[in-house]
Parts: sequence; structure tokens; C-alpha cells
Amino acid sequence: MSTKHSIAAEKFNQDSGRVTRHDQTFWSVRSKRDGLAYQLEEWEQLRESANLIKKHTITHLADYLEQFETNARKNGVHVHWAKDADEYNDIVMQIMREHNVKKVVKSKSMLTEECHLNDNLIRHGIDVVETDLGERILQLMEIPPSHIVMPAIHVTREEVAACFREKGIIEKHGAHAAEGLLKEGEDWRTSSDPTYLTRAARYHLRDNFMEADCGMTGGNFGIAETGDIVVCTNEGNADMSTSIPKLHIVSIGLEKIIPNYKAMGVFQRLLARHGTGQATTVYTSHFRKPRPGAEMHIILVDNGRSSILGNIEHWQTLKCMRCGACMNTCPVYRRSGGYSYTYFIPGPIGVNLGMLKDKDANYHNCSACSLCMSCDNVCPVKVDLSTQIYKWRQELDSMGHADPMKKMMSAGMQTLFEHPSLYTTALKFAPLANHVPAFMTNIKANAWCYGHTMPEFAKESFHTLWKKGKVK
Amino acid sequence: MSSREEILNRLRGNVRETYDFPDLGFRKLEFADPVAQYVETTVTTAGARVFEIKPTDDLNEKIREAYPDAKIIASNVPGIKADKNPDTVERAQDLEDVDVGVIKGEVACAENGCVWIPQTMKEKAVCFASETLVILVSKQNIVSNMHEAYERIKFNDYGFGTFISGPSKTADIEQSLVYGAQAARGVTIFLTE
Amino acid sequence: MKIGLFVPCYVDALYPEVGVAAYKLLCSLGLDVEYPEKQTCCGQPMGNAGFQNKAEKLVENYDELFRGYDYVVAPSASCASYVRFFHEGIVKHECEAAKRTMDLVEFLHDVVKPTSLKARFPHKVSLHNSCHGVRELGLSSPSERNVPRFNKIKDLLQLVEGITVMEPERPDECCGFGGMFSVEEPAVSTRMGKDKLRRHIATGAEYITGPDSSCLMHLQGIARKNGEPIKFIHVAQILAAGL
Repeated sequence: MSTKHSIAAEKFNQDSGRVTRHDQTFWSVRSKRDGLAYQLEEWEQLRESANLIKKHTITHLADYLEQFETNARKNGVHVHWAKDADEYNDIVMQIMREHNVKKVVKSKSMLTEECHLNDNLIRHGIDVVETDLGERILQLMEIPPSHIVMPAIHVTREEVAACFREKGIIEKHGAHAAEGLLKEGEDWRTSSDPTYLTRAARYHLRDNFMEADCGMTGGNFGIAETGDIVVCTNEGNADMSTSIPKLHIVSIGLEKIIPNYKAMGVFQRLLARHGTGQATTVYTSHFRKPRPGAEMHIILVDNGRSSILGNIEHWQTLKCMRCGACMNTCPVYRRSGGYSYTYFIPGPIGVNLGMLKDKDANYHNCSACSLCMSCDNVCPVKVDLSTQIYKWRQELDSMGHADPMKKMMSAGMQTLFEHPSLYTTALKFAPLANHVPAFMTNIKANAWCYGHTMPEFAKESFHTLWKKGKVK
Repeated sequence: MSSREEILNRLRGNVRETYDFPDLGFRKLEFADPVAQYVETTVTTAGARVFEIKPTDDLNEKIREAYPDAKIIASNVPGIKADKNPDTVERAQDLEDVDVGVIKGEVACAENGCVWIPQTMKEKAVCFASETLVILVSKQNIVSNMHEAYERIKFNDYGFGTFISGPSKTADIEQSLVYGAQAARGVTIFLTE
Repeated sequence: MKIGLFVPCYVDALYPEVGVAAYKLLCSLGLDVEYPEKQTCCGQPMGNAGFQNKAEKLVENYDELFRGYDYVVAPSASCASYVRFFHEGIVKHECEAAKRTMDLVEFLHDVVKPTSLKARFPHKVSLHNSCHGVRELGLSSPSERNVPRFNKIKDLLQLVEGITVMEPERPDECCGFGGMFSVEEPAVSTRMGKDKLRRHIATGAEYITGPDSSCLMHLQGIARKNGEPIKFIHVAQILAAGL
């Protein structure tokens, strides 16, 4: 009885110290979020408003998208529609060809990850440089993100230093970056000081910003009333990416559109508080028009979203604004790491989005939930994440992905629990028999004993005691 | 059928029940003294410095005091002595070596230290590529929360604006907080009357 | 007031003393308590495993068995909450008994509202706020939310003479039981349990107590495997101590 998630999680757990660090890292973000939550009297009203605004917008999305498009065009921005990842990639390539783009600087975007944009650009000979520090580290190491907001947090400083040395960043920028920074006797060629490494990356990325022909960003929000694209970062990399090159391409999922500035006020207050435990990101940038002499394109991407709206059980996943709070609070994510999931978005929202994307590939993640419901309670837009995971589990059997052992055990329990007389008899023999509680005795030899001793059956069950008149 | 139509039709076809935009009339965070709170937030959590500027102060002198080692200052703010002007540089790249960019903020928000900076120059790179920033903002324009800030902000014909709360920062390497990721490494707020 | 006592399957088989304590406690408060013998399980083990459809008949049986009572009380927060919040969804019609099913702590705190108890328990306990108790039944304020702080379990325990009630750091983080989760994801489940256990032990308590025998069973299994001497006791047993 194991899923790909449980197997990967067991491997992750072989290094207990790593689990401790991973757990503490994300718990500390959750704690910072809580601290901010307790300070705001209107916290729960903000969450409820965010929930309702998202519900409203998503159930009027076609109207808002049209309004957004009209306003963006009025602002001199080119608007494109992509029904899926292929069409999205084609549109990007077409724009790039028209502008003879050779190098792209890019700020973090989960949508481009979803559509495998980078691979596609590289295939077409375009040099693509991620500019969020975490994403850049991952790109250089050729590994995927393990979290949607803090994508490289699982990489150690020593690994970053080794990577920067291997890629020539230290050789080129190390001496400059070390100026006035490193302690005496510390060698910049071998240092793994985070401030120093960040500065080396700053100089490395500066070169790329200056040379790039195109800047790409995602969008945290699109405002229908004005046509604004809002991008929130701490590093300012989205702004650097769009202030130097003369071409800005925005990739944004349909569900990121919100009605107006009133709504924006609510979301701005919630996003960073939930995502990183800060009252705000350093930059909240509103892109309304292209820069003088520059061009701005917005690609509105569907890639399954409009169909999710039709899913009666799971449409509310469209409310998600990708803050990552559900990952940070998830006790399973914190102790299994981002790579234990089969979908590129891990944690509770990732379990759900993965199932909506490809059930056969991602049903493995449905085991990664103890149904503790913490995620439902942190979510700024009140997606009922754990209830949805419970619902997916109910569907696994009809998809042909139910675990045979669990199915057998559930059937055994059904027989037992539907027949009180059988149940009572089983109870009587419980200390000897293999029936009750079925979900434990059936796995006596393996999984339960991984970490537990077996519980002891009482000599006489409550039933027996009652029958014998011993309950008084 | 174009993708646009296909998407819009599917969205319309998939709606079962609709929801209204909520009433946002709940009570929001208000500070008795938003200016004091703004300074507190900015200094303690946003990682920027705040200098109070009196009407009699010489701004250029104050900039020197704030950044005595600066070699290249860039600004298009009237009265600021600058070596480069973001309105007249040929390319955004020309602002890469700027030590101090001096820009104007229009609304500041006490709850999180955000200052609204509308683009008022040809090359907005001055707001991001400069090694450090001096942001001029008037005490009169400080509000308590982001709802009020969003009611106040205005766009001009450049069609870009950004809230900046302090220096660029990252914690991407082992969660160590480092100021000065890709954009300004330091920010000083000049609080004017 | 007629009370139907629901003693869920694993309490029945493994921890009958919890059922006995609940019965005695309810009787001592002057309530008319019956134990319908044909009861079995709430259906949660199947539901969490993805087979709530196999619990349909059981749900109907439950409703039939318990619908005549003013309240159905179970000494198990998770089971009570499964009955109340999932039964109607499983059989797709209203269930009278489910609506009136309460966890023992919830029932005592909200309905009976005792101002004193006869119990004496001169020990230091660490309180285990189990997930469904916190986030479905509202036995305590969830740490994720900005709501006034309260804890109904603690309120009741503090009526017991001589007791010292502690709470672990991260007071409502999941212990990792999760029913079938514990056997499908044994590595993570065990790690969660170890972390929880360590925080309970750090309070210096002699006992870990809570409203869910399932969480306690999980933690106890891990404690025993690792030779930890800490003891486990259900809240009902403390509230009924000396009866």
C-alpha cells in the first residue's frame, strides 16, 4: 500500500535533520503569518471578502475578461488568448521572432512552469534567464522548484556556492561582490555566505538585464476596470526585467483577473501576509501601458481553467492566488518536501490542481493528506482544500486508481459494520482475530509497525462489558 | 472559432450559480497617528531609513548627508542637482551606474510602509537600477491602510506605478534575509511637510 | 433528556474504559443514558480511505438506531464530527441523528454546562487538541484564525481538582494519525507523531490527554516503540476520575 508520494516521502525522511530543517523553515513562515493575522482586527473579514470577490469574479469571468481586454487595448497593450500550453508557446515564439529576441529575462511565473515555456524557448535557440534568485539557482542547477513562493529553499548555501563556482559566476563577480563584505581571512573563492552569494548573483543578473531583448513576467492580478497587470516581488526583478528591455510579455492565467481597485486593496493586504509573513512585498507594480518606445503584450492563458469552472466539486480551486500558505502549514508537505509530489505544485493546492490537470499521473498525491484541515483555515481565499482531497479519494476507485489493499479493507469493514451481530462476534474474538479494527489488524505486519507498537485489544470490549452488566 | 471565443463560450457555459461582489464596508485598520506609524513600520520592518525634512532644509545637502560617497545622482525632480536625468538619457541602460536615484512618492501607507511611485520620467529604470534610492514624500499624504492608498493613487500618461516599501530583498538562500537583491540596495525616505 | 451513547468501534475494542468513563460521567450529571447495542462504526475509516460509498448502509443504520434520542454523545471528537458533517453527504438525505450527534466534551461544555465536577486528578497533563475537534467541532480556537481564543476541553479539565493543564508548542498541529493515512504514509505519519510527542513531553506532563482515542493510540504506539514513559488518558477518564 504505497503511492509515489509515500515512497518519495519515506526517502526524504531518511535524513532526519533535513526533515527538521524543512519543517522549521516553513513553520516559521506560518508563524510569521499568524503574527500578522493576530494583529489585524479585520483579518477574517478580509479573508471572507477575498473569498466572495473571487467567487463573484470567477462566476462572471467572461465579462471581466472582456472588460480587461478592452481596457488593456485602450492602453496600447496587445492582448492574446491561448487555449492551451501549445498555443501559448506559439504566441510567445511569434512575438519573439517579430522582435528578433535572443535573450529573455524572466521573473517568476508558475504559469510558464505549467506550460514548459523555458524548454520551448531553449529549443528555439533563445537564451532564457530566470531573475528571481531562487529560480535562477534552480535553473543553473537544472532542478525544478520545490515550493511555489520559496522555490529553492531546500538548497543549502554550500550547494549554491558550488553551483555559482561551477557556472563561472564566482570567478567573474566574486571579487567585486566580496568587497567590504567578507570577514578577514575568508576567501571569496570558497565562501558560502548568503549575503555574498546574493551579491554575486546581483552582478551576474545585472549583466543579463542590460543585455536582454525581452522581459517576461507573470501577473499576480489583472484588474478588469483599468487593464492593469499587477506583479508583486521582493527582489524587484520583475521591475528590472521590464525597465531595460523594450519588450514586455505578461503571461497570466484567466483566473487572475479581479474586478477593480477595491478588490485589489483586499488582495494586496492578504497576499504577502499569507505567502511570506510580511505586511507587503517590497514591490507591488502596476503595469498599465508600455514604456515609451516599448511594446507590451499580455497573453491570457486558459490551459484547462475554463473547464475547471464546470467542475461542480472542484471549481473553487480557481480562487487560488498562489500564495503558498497551504504548503507552509501542511504538516505533510513540511515533512515530505516539494519533490515527493508528482505535480510541480506541491502541497494541498498542488494535490488538487494536479488531479484537475492529469488524474492518472497525479493520483499518487492524494495520500499526502492527514485531513487535518489546517490548509482550509489558512487559505486567504477559503479554498476548501482538504474537503476536496477527501472528494478526490472517493473518486479514485472509479478511476481505477484505488489501492487494492485499502479497497479490500474497506470492504471488510463494510461487511463487519453493516452487521452488528457479526461485529459483536468479531469483537469478542478481537484479541485473537483479524477483523477489528480491520484497518489496523490487516496491516499488522507492515506499515503500522513502521513507527508504532501494536495497540492491545481490551480483554472485554465495551459491548461485552455492557452485555455483562459491568458498565454501571 | 478563435481561442478567444472558445474560451469565453466555455466560461459562460460552465457557470451554474453566480455570486455578488461583497460589501467591503467593514472597519479597517486606522492609526491615530499614521505618520508616526509609517515611520515605525518603515524603519523596523521595511528596512529603509526615514529623514524628516524641514521646509528650510536644503534637499541637495540632505541627499549628500544621506549618501556621502555617491558619485552619480540621477533625478528629474526639479531642484535636485543630478548628474543624470532619466528623461534625457538615451537608453535605460545608461542608468545602470547610478549611485542614488531621487524620485517622488505620492501616497504612503502606514500599515506596511508602501510608497506609491507613479512613473514621472521617461526611463523608470531609475527607480530600480539605482544602487540606492531617495524617495521624497509629503507627510500630508500618509494614509493608514492599503484600501485608502488605492483610493488615492493616480496614474499619469506613462501608465506605470509601483508601491515600494524599502530596499530590494531576498531570503532565497537558506532563508537568510539579504538586502539588495536585484534592485535598490538601500532606500531613504525624505519625509517633507 | 435522553442520551444515546455512541462508543465508536476502536474505543469499543481497544479502549472500553473510555466508554465506561463517558457513561458514568453522563449518568453522574443526572442524564438518562442508553447504549443501543446494534451500533458499530461512524464510517470514517472507509471514507478517509476513499470508500465512503461502502458506508451507506452503516449510515442508515446509525440514523435508525439513534434518531429517537435528544442527543447522541460520543467520547471521540473525530467520529462525532464525521457523523455530523459527512453522514448526510454520504446518503444524500437529511439525517436526524447526525444533526444531534455531539462529542462528549462539546456536549458537556455547550449543553450540560456543569459548574463543578466531583473529579480529582492531581497530575500534570498535556492537552492534545485533535484536528477535527479543533477545526470541525470548534472545541478550541484554530491557531490559523484570528478569532477570540477559547478551549472547551481546557475549560472542563479545569473543573477537576488538583489538575495542571499544559499545552504543547504548536498546540493544534496534526499528530499524523489520519486513519488510513498512518498506514499509507507511514514515514510522514510517524515523523509527525514523533514531533508531536516530543512537544507534549517537553511540557513536563505525566499524561497526554485529549478527546480522541485515535490520536492517543497513534502517539502511544510511537511512545512505546521509542521507550517513552509518558502515560495516556482520555479526557473522559479524567472528568470521571473518582466516579
